[in-house]
This record gives sequence, C-alpha cells and structure tokens, in this order.
Amino acid sequence: MSITIKSTSLSSAKPAAVSRAAAPAAAPRRDDRWSGWLFALPHFLLFLVFLLAPTLFGLYLSLHNWHVLAKHHPFVGLANYQSALSDDIFWLALRNTAYFVILAVPAGNLVSLLLALGLAGVKRFATFYKVAFYLPVVISIAVVAVLWQWLFNTQVGLLNLYLDAAVTGLRHLGLPLAPFEPIPWLSNPHMAMPSIALMSIWWGAGGNMILYLAGINNIAPDYYEAATIDGANGWQRFWAITWPLLKPTTLFCLVFSVLGAFQVFGQSYVLYGGASGPGRAALTMVLYMYQQGFSQYEIGYGAAIAYLLFAVVLMLTGIQFWLFSGRKAKD
Amino acid sequence: MYQRLFRCCINATVTILLAATLSGCRPAGNATPEAGGKTVINFWNGFTGPDGKTMGKMVAQFEQENPDVQVNMQLIPWGTYYDKLTLSLAYGGAPDVFIMQAARFSEYASFHTLKPLSGQYQSDKTPLGAQDFAPVPWRESYYQGVQYALPLDIHPIGLYYNTKLFRDAGIVDEHGDAKPPATLDEFLADAKKLTKDTTGNGRTDQWGFVITNEHSNWLTFAHQFGGDIVTPDGKHGAMSSPEALQATHLMCDLIYKDKVAPKPEGVDAWLALRQGKAAMAMEGIYMVQSLEEQKSLQFAGAPIPQFGPKQGVWGGTHLLCQPADISPAQSKAAWRLMRYISDHSLEWGKAGQIPARVAVERSTAFQALPVQAQFGKQVDYVVYDPQIPRANALNQFADPAIEAALLQLQTPEDAMRDADRRIDQLLKRP
Repeated sequence: MSITIKSTSLSSAKPAAVSRAAAPAAAPRRDDRWSGWLFALPHFLLFLVFLLAPTLFGLYLSLHNWHVLAKHHPFVGLANYQSALSDDIFWLALRNTAYFVILAVPAGNLVSLLLALGLAGVKRFATFYKVAFYLPVVISIAVVAVLWQWLFNTQVGLLNLYLDAAVTGLRHLGLPLAPFEPIPWLSNPHMAMPSIALMSIWWGAGGNMILYLAGINNIAPDYYEAATIDGANGWQRFWAITWPLLKPTTLFCLVFSVLGAFQVFGQSYVLYGGASGPGRAALTMVLYMYQQGFSQYEIGYGAAIAYLLFAVVLMLTGIQFWLFSGRKAKD
Repeated sequence: MYQRLFRCCINATVTILLAATLSGCRPAGNATPEAGGKTVINFWNGFTGPDGKTMGKMVAQFEQENPDVQVNMQLIPWGTYYDKLTLSLAYGGAPDVFIMQAARFSEYASFHTLKPLSGQYQSDKTPLGAQDFAPVPWRESYYQGVQYALPLDIHPIGLYYNTKLFRDAGIVDEHGDAKPPATLDEFLADAKKLTKDTTGNGRTDQWGFVITNEHSNWLTFAHQFGGDIVTPDGKHGAMSSPEALQATHLMCDLIYKDKVAPKPEGVDAWLALRQGKAAMAMEGIYMVQSLEEQKSLQFAGAPIPQFGPKQGVWGGTHLLCQPADISPAQSKAAWRLMRYISDHSLEWGKAGQIPARVAVERSTAFQALPVQAQFGKQVDYVVYDPQIPRANALNQFADPAIEAALLQLQTPEDAMRDADRRIDQLLKRP
C-alpha cells in the first residue's frame, strides 16, 4: 500500500500540491524561521569574520593616515583617495593591469578553447591529456613564477636556447635570417608584461579548458550528424554549431577570467621580488597596493588603492552582469 | 527550542571570538624569559647567506662562555625581514636583539620603536665610546641626539676586478701584477682595453665593466660629484641637481658612448663577472665569499676609483638594536650578547664585512684579509642612503628613475625630474 502512495505522490506534476497535502498545518511553526539561519550560520560567521569585517575595516583604514609603527592614526577623510588619484604611478599601475587583461584574457581563452576542441576529439589517453593540461592550474603561482624565471633567463633560459637553435637551424637551411639575439624576456620594459601574460596563460589555460570541454560535450551530437549529412566540413561545423552553442560558456569564462586577471599579483611579485619590473612595466594594481601597504607600511594609502581597485572591478562586473542578463532576455 | 539553540550558538561564538581577539592583542614576545634557569634571548637577523653561518658560530661561542644565557637566533631573508620585524614591533613579539640596516634605522628610530642604549654603553666595566668606532657608523647609531644602536660593521661597495683579464690585456704594474684603476681616466682606458669581441662574431662578449647594482653604483657616482637623492635638509628631491645629473650622464656614457658596459637589461651582471665575461664591477664587500668559493676565478679588490671631484662610496652598516619595550633584565642580557658580538667582530670581518670597531679593523689579522683590507681603506668617506625617516620610501622613486636613465627609457633629465617631483610629493605628506 505504501508503494501506491509513494507512486501517486511522485507522479504528481505539482510538488507544491504535494507539500500542501503532506503538511496540513498551513501556518509554519514560529521556530522554523530560525532553522534557515542556523544552517547558514557557519558560513555566515566565516564570511563575517574573514571577509566582511576585514573589508569594512579596510574602508576605515583608507580614511586614516595609518603607518604600522605609529602610535596614533589621524583621520584624514578622503585624502588617501585624493593622493591615489593624483598619483601618476597609480594610473600607470591601472594601465599596466588593463594591458595584462587585454593580453592574457582573449589569448588565454583562445588557448583553452583550442585545447578543449583538440581534446574533444581524442579517444585514447583522453584522461591523461586532460590531467597533463590541467596540472599547471593546481600549482601555486609562486612555483610557476620561479619555474618560468629560469625559462625566461636571457643567457641560459630554455626559451632562448630553443629559439636560438631554431633560428640557427633555419639559417643552415639557407633562410636569410639575422643571427639570433637573445630576447630579454623579463628585463626589457616592452617584453615584461607580454612575458607575464604568456606565463599566466600557461598557468591558467587548463581551468577554462575544462569548462569549454564540458560545454562542447553538452552539445547534442545530432546537430553534427545533420550537418555532416548536409556535407558541412569541420570548419563549417565549428563555425555554425560549436561556436554559437558555446557562447554561454565563452561568456562565463571571459567574465571570470577578466575578474581574475584584474587581480594579477603573484606573477610580478615573484618574478621581480616585490619590485615593479623594468621601467615599472610589471607594476599592477594589487602589487602597488601591496608595496604601499606592506613595503612602505602606509596601510591607509594601500587600503585606498584597494578600494579603488574594488570600484573598477565592481564596475566591470556590473557591465558583465548586464551583458549576461541581456543575453538571457534574448534567449 | 531552536531559539534557545540559536542564542547558545551566538553566545558561544561571540565568546570564542572575543577570547581570540583579546589573546591576539597580548604581546607574545618576552613571554619566556627563563628556560631551565637560563635567560632566553631572541635574536633576529637577515643573514641567510654564508654570513649567517659565521654569526651562528659567534652566538654559539657566546653561549659557551655565558652558560646562563640561551640565544635563539632566527634567520629571516632580508626580503621579508622588515615585514616581520615591523609587525612584531607594532603588535608584540619583538626579539630582544635584532639587526637594523643603516638605510632603515631612522625610520624605526623616528617611531620610537628602538630602545635608547646610552645607559647600556655606560654600564659596562670597560665602556665603549666614540674612540672605539669608525666615525661614520658611530654617527649612524644616533637619531636626533639619542643613541639607539651598537654599530657592528661597515659594508661599502668596492672595485672587484678579474686579475687574469687585466694581465692578459697588459694592464699591470712594475711587478707584472694586475693594476686596478684609481682615476676616471685610468678606469676608462682600462675598461676600453678590456671590452672585446673574443669570438669574432661582431658582438662584444667581454665587458670592461658591469653595473651590478644600480642603486649603490649611482649613489657612489652621485656623491663623488656632490649629488644625492635628497637635499641636505632632507626636505626635497635632489636627483635632478646638476651634480647628480652629471654623475648620471657619466654612467650612461659608459654604456652608450664609451660602450664599455652592457645595457643593464637581460644580463646577469654578477654572473658575468664570475664567468670572466666582465672585468670590473662595483659590488658590496659582502659578496667576497661568493667569489672566494669560485676557485677558478682570479680576482682582487680595490677601492672605488675617484670619478668625480671628491671621494665617496656607498656603504651600509649593520646596527644591533633592542626594542623599546624590552624589560631591564632582558635588556641587560641582550646587551651582553651585543657587546660580545662587537668584541669578536674579527670573525664577522672574515665573512665579508669591515668591523666598525677600530681596534679590530686595524688588527693585523684583519689587514691580512686581502679584499676586506682594500675595501677598508674607504671607511672614512663611506656615504649611506639619506638619513631621513622616509629613506626607504624614496627608493620606490629613485631606483626606477636611475634604471630609466640607464636603459634610455627617458633622458636623465626627465627621469630625475620625475623622481624629484614624486619625492617632493612624498615628503610633503603628513
């Protein structure tokens, strides 16, 4: 008999009706109001102590002249913000950060997409490749940067050695190439940010690759079958099916890559030992905040920079949310 | 029931948080002054290289001779040393003795985080005084008339040169030994002879000179012409002064006009010296051990040549300090350690330093150290980073400007003017 009851309730199309039937007492018990809060409590407390409170305290700091060693921290209002906005190095850091985002995000997503497309067709050892490409993501940026510092070394770095060998080889084949000049990957101001972007792409490509792969696997094979019957080639199948159907994934990946990229810090910090790189070319917003707050101990000024970065990221997030909702409305 | 549970949870959490906050506020340092009847002294420094081993030996020797004191020495890399020290001085947990570099001393003294030590100096049976120390580091141990430190050493830069390359180029004295340059003209002539394309591929692969440290090298050049990062009153930037600019142009000329030094990008300049691809470099005395370890390298040390109208060489000093809030008993024991290290600083000299103690510096044992004794000739005209509380903050503008000029990212005039504008802005901040 119980089986019958179950099947009726399960087959019911409206779960709301079931719950009403199961709980005849219409008014919820007074205590139930708290149970939700109780379940949320552990997370809420962590959020409060480790996120909200420090964030608000940061706002408080940014309004004071706060040197770590000083006994008194006088209130200065918006003076720190004023200083930051009239500080040309702050704007340089913002420009460098934007440059990094432009270099690393589109190219990084392209690499992820290409990897995913490649992997989608792989049948043998697919897991091995997935793990291999994903592995850099789980390495700490400090380790990645130390590793790449050697790869980038002008005199003994692997990148220059390979390039040198390639150029020399091509010259032997009779190509009219100039002898290879070692590339100063990290010490030339024009090369610094592209080098950091290159390293970051290697580091992070695996993460988005997984998302793209999931997106590709979610596309029903019927579309491809139909397209193949109609005589579409590989490029046409990609352009007419995969790319449009991957748009939500692409948008998601782009949004999160941009947010992450704006907070770039570890790369410059480790590669240049906390300094700003040649001609300040590797100085990013978070690095500048760190330098002011933790190298100069001007905590108030550092906090003001943090809040200005927060404003920039918030603005970008707003734009992207708007893009998201715009898409949903169209769908 | 839920309500009661909820309230219980909240109460418990608040209690835990409060307890955690309060216990976090209490200074953790100096908590165990005694362990097994011994006074425990915490000693922090940044000597993570071979110099740390020497310091470790000196401390162990001190413990042997002072069985009532136990020293816990903590080596923290210089890169993070001041972060840790600053937080401990601000929020508790500071060591009883710590090393302070001359460039940072004024900053910490100005915030009253260091203990005045004149009482300790006078309490000794054989009190130390100005006559016992080289004048420059002795002066450095004072801030606004109060003595906060025991100066341990002086570490100026000096001229390291590859004696084999000098001999090969025929730059020798009457005995046939390599002869280091003493004037600008000699320096340029030697550097030109030593700059070569040894493989004949049209590219220079042996340089007469390399700039290994832009900061110390620039300050050396600048001081010799009468320039500095800030004006003598410490209130304005002075990097675009005619004297400083003259020095900057001279450095740029070495790279772009005389072509005796590589552009300081993409070259590990110190490695080039060690590999015999550079004949001269101006580096700190503390690098001597790393060269001595390289048996195949034939090198020697000499005082920095005189490039400008007066003598001058950048240097630093390690100062031994105590935190302002140290207890009298701890301070006494800590002073014993400081005094011991100072008295035995010959060992320290061997590790690549010039002892600040005159008697040690003049001792035959020290004078027998070839490089150290040569670099030691410069102690009377050593110059430090600016002696103002914001000295460390100046470097964030000074160093990139020097680099921009040397890499020709900007003209020396523009780069130095930018630096001065930023330095002025910084010095105006409350």
